[in-house]
Amino acid sequence: MDHKSIYLKNAIWLAILTILEVGITYLSISQTGQIVLLLSFAVTKMLLVAMIYMHLRYETKVLNRILFIPIPAGILFTIALMYDIPFRWVI
Amino acid sequence: MNQNQSTAIPVNDPFGNATTGKLGMWLFIIVDGLSFAGLLIAGAALRASSKNWPVAGEILNIPLTAFNTFLLICTSFTMVMALNSIQKGDQSGLKKFLGLTMAGGVVFLGIQVWEYYHFIEGGFLISTSIYSSMFYVTTGFHGFHVLSGVIYIGIVLWLANQGMFSENNWDRVEILGLFWHFVDLVWILVFTIIYLI
Repeated sequence: MDHKSIYLKNAIWLAILTILEVGITYLSISQTGQIVLLLSFAVTKMLLVAMIYMHLRYETKVLNRILFIPIPAGILFTIALMYDIPFRWVI
Repeated sequence: MNQNQSTAIPVNDPFGNATTGKLGMWLFIIVDGLSFAGLLIAGAALRASSKNWPVAGEILNIPLTAFNTFLLICTSFTMVMALNSIQKGDQSGLKKFLGLTMAGGVVFLGIQVWEYYHFIEGGFLISTSIYSSMFYVTTGFHGFHVLSGVIYIGIVLWLANQGMFSENNWDRVEILGLFWHFVDLVWILVFTIIYLI
């Protein structure tokens, strides 16, 4: 089975999402809104690369779970590092 | 039902048909991904606690790096096409797409070096600020991966020229592809966090 058209469509989508990402930085919306939008686009692009180019969608559930387990850990580390920032002005 | 069917022990491999080499590369990707996560999370924590963080595009060249991102996406496409070619037994397609991927990686590195040169010339050094050190360490670490990937592609291309791969033997090309796509995947996050946010 030839996947050429799927790979090409994926590349086009990745390019479109990159252009939209750059466009978001020129929008006059709140910084929080920009961060949420940019991170959502980045995660979408990463999933497209992982699922289609790295063929993760054809791998077993066990391998998929092993690969995705570190992500919540990363989010927890980020929160642990930054949770006190709003209170630093007190010191 | 014959005897063989009745006594056969069903094999339920949790990793399916993945080879040892492929699982090894996935393991490396997890570990390497955590290294990048450490850098990016540290950068995000520093940024959140800093009052003098430059806004997007104030120092860094977003259009140029967006082009570099586009280039890396194109190399991901050429890399997957290299694998697609050899899976069909197309030796010349494999060599052509590997060569294109390698060329794309070299151009990406060239643009990054050019960017660094102009920053250093303008006084934006690794020691200038926390922001600059985070920028150079994260993008430099990624650039090192691209350089490693280019060398890795060179080795596989050399093996391809020796006629090492065929429609029944393309595991090493797939493993190389995993590494290269990972480099692309990480850059997507680095570009968003370092350049755009």
